Amino acid sequence: MISLANVSKFFGSLVLFENLSLHVGKGQIVAIVGPSGSGKTTILKMIAGIISPDRGTVTLGSPHLSYVFQETRLLPWRSALDNVAIPLRARGVEKTAARATAGQWLKKVGLEGFENYRPAELSGGMAQRVAIARALATQPHILLMDEPLANVDVELKASLLELLVSFIRKNEATVVYVTHELTEALQIADRIVEVMPDRSLRELELSDRVAVARDWLARSLGKLGAAL
Amino acid sequence: MTGSTLSGKTESSPRYSRTRGSKSCRFGLVCGALGVVAILVVWQILSLVVNPVFLASPGDTAKALVRLAWEGRLWVELLITLKRLVTGLLLGAAAGWALGILAGLDRRLRSFFEPVRWVVMTVPAVIIAMLAMLWFGLGDSTVIFMVAVIVFPTMFVNTVSGAMSVDTRLVEMARVYRFPRRLMLTEVYLPAIASPVLAGLTLAAGIGVRAVVLGEVLGATSGIGHAFSRAHSWLETDELFAWIVVLLLLMGVIEFGALRPLRKRAARWRSAGS
Repeated sequence: MISLANVSKFFGSLVLFENLSLHVGKGQIVAIVGPSGSGKTTILKMIAGIISPDRGTVTLGSPHLSYVFQETRLLPWRSALDNVAIPLRARGVEKTAARATAGQWLKKVGLEGFENYRPAELSGGMAQRVAIARALATQPHILLMDEPLANVDVELKASLLELLVSFIRKNEATVVYVTHELTEALQIADRIVEVMPDRSLRELELSDRVAVARDWLARSLGKLGAAL
Repeated sequence: MTGSTLSGKTESSPRYSRTRGSKSCRFGLVCGALGVVAILVVWQILSLVVNPVFLASPGDTAKALVRLAWEGRLWVELLITLKRLVTGLLLGAAAGWALGILAGLDRRLRSFFEPVRWVVMTVPAVIIAMLAMLWFGLGDSTVIFMVAVIVFPTMFVNTVSGAMSVDTRLVEMARVYRFPRRLMLTEVYLPAIASPVLAGLTLAAGIGVRAVVLGEVLGATSGIGHAFSRAHSWLETDELFAWIVVLLLLMGVIEFGALRPLRKRAARWRSAGS
């Protein structure tokens, strides 16, 4: 469970959020959508405890949390395998077992054979998949994801979304998923929350979601027609 | 279906070529060798026009070097100096490194240590030598103390700047994943500051060699510095230059044999993708 109650955040004289409230139930996936610079990442950072709200409270049902950052934040001096294994060791998993688990997760995200590559030797999308493997390997109760598929190829996106959804459902993880792609949010989320221009949150109703889906379908069919 | 596996690694991993690097490395070695030859040529020409009491020729210097090695004095004095240098360097570098990490991570400690750094960096080396002689007399302790005190601020400043420039985004990541203090240190901070620390150690080693010679000239009855001082008093210019060559070789061994490979190793991850 994640709960933000009347949270306000100021940067100097700038009011970023005022009396923001959001509740995400256990096992629920909430997508936060909105344009760049609307403060989506700030909401995630407040949930993760990276920045503190100036007013209001943030309550988490479990301290066991993983975060897929927008920039991968991998340790540049460590291999892909170590980057996944080290957070496991931080949770008390023995080194050999941590490396074995890390190897399995790299395989699941399609990076078998790249275990010993350092982040600088991987493409942006591959590094992002290492970051996803790192987040899931620790089996978190709360999963925060900030545009996790932004750098991933279109063909891999669907498979990764499937992997994410199956992991979340199996582990009953509580998820906040930040994206600016409404269609991506539609595919993964139980609820979609939009950051409005006045920085308030508006939950997308079923009718909105249907309209978005219809729009997407029309555009896809249009592309298909043009291709044929 | 968490057991599912993605297939089709459509993104290709960026590869890197070493051809250009090794070519430029070979070119660098050739240029370095040419520099050494240029020094020897200029030295030889100067020795033809300057009185040998003031400037020994490369040939006379080499003969003196062989004589010192044959008599065994070279090895005795070299070992004494090396022992003092390594001990002083380790003490000064360890203190500068440990306090530098603390000061880099905590602004209050940084302010606390700042006057100490300023005093040690500002007081001239000769005054440190005189104080050391006053406190410890002639011998090992004076020279080791001098080297440690003179080396300390260089290491301290480099470590502080390294610790302050650690990528805060990695620190945030480690906090989110609840890295314990030990992992935070070994996986985030130490690798991040390795390059500036090793750069500091390289500088410190150079300063340390100068300090050990100064200490031995002023406050010891043995070591290369003392032998240098003795050769100077007796106007044994060829021996004087031989000891200078020994010091340069010593510095070369430390720099190229130990510090440069360490620096390369620490920076390996930086060059991996370039």
